Amino acid sequence: MVTNQSGLLPESIEGSEGVKTQEMLLNMGPQHPSTHGVLRLVLMLEGETVVDCTPVIGYLHRGIEKILENRPVMGGIRYMDNADYLSPMLNEIAYVGAVEQEMGIEAPKRAQYIRLLVGEMQRIASHLVAVGTYGLDLGAFTPVLWTFRDREGILSLFEALGGSRFNVNYLRVGGVLHDFPKDWLKECEAFFDQLDKNMAELETLLTGNEIFEARTQGVGYIDQQQAIAYGLTGPMLRASGVNWDLRVNRPYMAYREVPVNVQVRQEGDCFARYKVRMQEIWESIRLCRVAIDKMPGGAISTRTPIALRPPRGETYFAIESSKGELGIYFISDGSEYPWRAKIRGPSFVNLSILPEILRGHKMGDVVAILGSTDIVLGEVDR
Amino acid sequence: MRIASIFADNLGSQLFNGIFSWQFLQFIVAFLSFFGFVLTSAVILILAERKVMGWMQDRVGPIHTGPWGLLQTVADVGKLLMKEDIHASQTDKTLFIVAPSVFLAPVIGAFAVLPLSPYVGLPGTALATGIVYYVALSSIDVVGVVMAGWSSNNKYSLIGGLRSAAQMISYELPLVLALVGVVMLTSILSNSGLGTISVRDMVTYQTANLYPGKGIGFFDFIFQGDTPWAWFFLVQPLMFVIYYTCGLAETNRAPFDLPEAESELVAGYLTEYSGMRWALFYLGEYGNMTIVSSIAAYLFLGGFAGPGVGFLTGLGNPGWGLLGNLLAVGYFIFKVYLLCFVFIWVRSTLPRLRADQLMQFAWLILIPTTLINILITGLIYLVMASFGSPNWLFLIVLGAVNWLMLLAFIRVVSQATVATTRRAQAPAIRARRRADAVAGQLPERTSVASGAQK
Repeated sequence: MVTNQSGLLPESIEGSEGVKTQEMLLNMGPQHPSTHGVLRLVLMLEGETVVDCTPVIGYLHRGIEKILENRPVMGGIRYMDNADYLSPMLNEIAYVGAVEQEMGIEAPKRAQYIRLLVGEMQRIASHLVAVGTYGLDLGAFTPVLWTFRDREGILSLFEALGGSRFNVNYLRVGGVLHDFPKDWLKECEAFFDQLDKNMAELETLLTGNEIFEARTQGVGYIDQQQAIAYGLTGPMLRASGVNWDLRVNRPYMAYREVPVNVQVRQEGDCFARYKVRMQEIWESIRLCRVAIDKMPGGAISTRTPIALRPPRGETYFAIESSKGELGIYFISDGSEYPWRAKIRGPSFVNLSILPEILRGHKMGDVVAILGSTDIVLGEVDR
Repeated sequence: MRIASIFADNLGSQLFNGIFSWQFLQFIVAFLSFFGFVLTSAVILILAERKVMGWMQDRVGPIHTGPWGLLQTVADVGKLLMKEDIHASQTDKTLFIVAPSVFLAPVIGAFAVLPLSPYVGLPGTALATGIVYYVALSSIDVVGVVMAGWSSNNKYSLIGGLRSAAQMISYELPLVLALVGVVMLTSILSNSGLGTISVRDMVTYQTANLYPGKGIGFFDFIFQGDTPWAWFFLVQPLMFVIYYTCGLAETNRAPFDLPEAESELVAGYLTEYSGMRWALFYLGEYGNMTIVSSIAAYLFLGGFAGPGVGFLTGLGNPGWGLLGNLLAVGYFIFKVYLLCFVFIWVRSTLPRLRADQLMQFAWLILIPTTLINILITGLIYLVMASFGSPNWLFLIVLGAVNWLMLLAFIRVVSQATVATTRRAQAPAIRARRRADAVAGQLPERTSVASGAQK
């Protein structure tokens, strides 16, 4: 018999003979269409209302941090691609930046602008996936295919640049691997012109849709203090009205010269998080155009020794990844191998607030809220 | 002994006469063609859905099997037939096996009352209570879904089955109430004051009464038995929209596809099904789509009426009559597939509602609207009849009022959506007001950065 301590259950159900209500335990995942990979949520349901939720992670653990310790510094770049597999370029920037900071070298201006350009393109690609799959979570089938079409354009440009669509392995300590292929920047500009149109189309499909608004507005509310207390970063934090973006607040590389308009919204609900991502795509398109316009000449890489031996010591370097603050805590013992490279994955931290905001919502909102946190299990489990 | 032999003789001769009569042959042909129509229609719709959604989503859809991908569904059906029949352990075997049939049978049964043309149709098309029969059968579907959900021994299936029970029963009411508006129209239009609930007679009310033959060949050919200005969707557009919306919910199509919501419930009540049993559910779903579209075509879009049908069948010549009937079948199928296309279009555009929003929409918006419509239709008739105005004037006034109601309905729905979402956002807005007061005191974290760039 369920006790009626909360006073929520009607008396008739509690009192009548033979009628018993019971909370239902539902294992959502790890094999489930909308847990964004292999997240497992142990949900306690009362009817369709979520009473409790326990995220279980670790199904995609590949020991990336340990692998980094067993590879020479340069060899680790390729493994960083796999951490947040939706934004490999940004992961590389974080890792390479940490090593450069430890070694006290700085990439040439041109390399920094190239990093800004590919980083922002990667941010667009990652946000496109986030927005598209968010539509899919809510049952809209079309946005995901449109956004994947646009993302494909970015991946093709990366393929022309680094030889690989996905695990690009393009950055190097002290610079980047290659200069652009011929006419690559023109292709980029053409792509951005097309992306403008496609994004406008996507906005008409999702943003003004009444069902979409009804599903997202007021759902999964995180207030400002709560967001800071849980250490949220990225669009999750900015959607709760906190103006915090590492590209502005702790500018690194070319961001010291290129100003960024931080996208902040006050509502703190799923719709705000979606909207922040959409606005960041527009902002990133603008940044890419700025980077192409200001692209300086000169070397793409400083000369570094073949065997990189970062000096003994430790450093923390963080960038604004597509999901939030992606930091590398890099400890070197002076050898060719990092002694430790701790990844501060934004997805992992952003996931921590999930049980808090899921409680009391309906079953259908679980995917709406989970989708709005935009986690990548590769980065959560590492 | 003697009585028995007389009885047997009679029975034998009756059977003989029955089996070798034209009616029986006609029945067999009609039955087979209708059964074939349901099944092929489902197969065609599945292919059409994949192709049309493909175009809308900037991809090509199936292209490899057969010319232009046309044989894709045929190949799929072949594959499904040959698949192993899997039962999950600890399912309720009997219910698990029976459920797909319970789902599919009413769908095929409902086709019995749908004539394809003035003459082509099963004997059931003569049924005077066609609409009631259809409504009754379409509500049996839910039993199959609940059986599937319960027997699968899977929590997703259970939630899906229960959701669908709630959903289909809730949307049954506005669906029927929307049809009542049309039935009232027929009762007003008929001279005797008795309306019709026969599907076939619905067409005559939308066509025959309103065009007296003028004797000009061309106009007679086009407009005899085909008066698009009298189709009921012009007089009752709001009911058409509501019926169609409820049809979406009845068939578990987007944006009301909660029972099989992929992103929440994996596949809802279908989760444990595979192979041919799964295919039967699919067949039932697409058959249901065809039925809802057919009923909408009959009650609101003039059914099989179209240019030439009434003229050719009215000539009394068997050859021209046959041509007229074929034309009628063509018009009917065209209208049905046009409505099915809208089903597909809606699916590729809209996100899914949440369960409680779905219920609110049915109980707080659709049912009151249909009830008000019934009231208004009756009131307008009473007022106008007291002035002794003719039927055509009544239709025009009612149509005008109903179109205004449709616009108001759209306005009210969007306003209600905005209002409810505002209410949902209220805690966020209050919290923002509180937070604005302390916004200036947020901690500055720039100093925390241990290794800020050199």
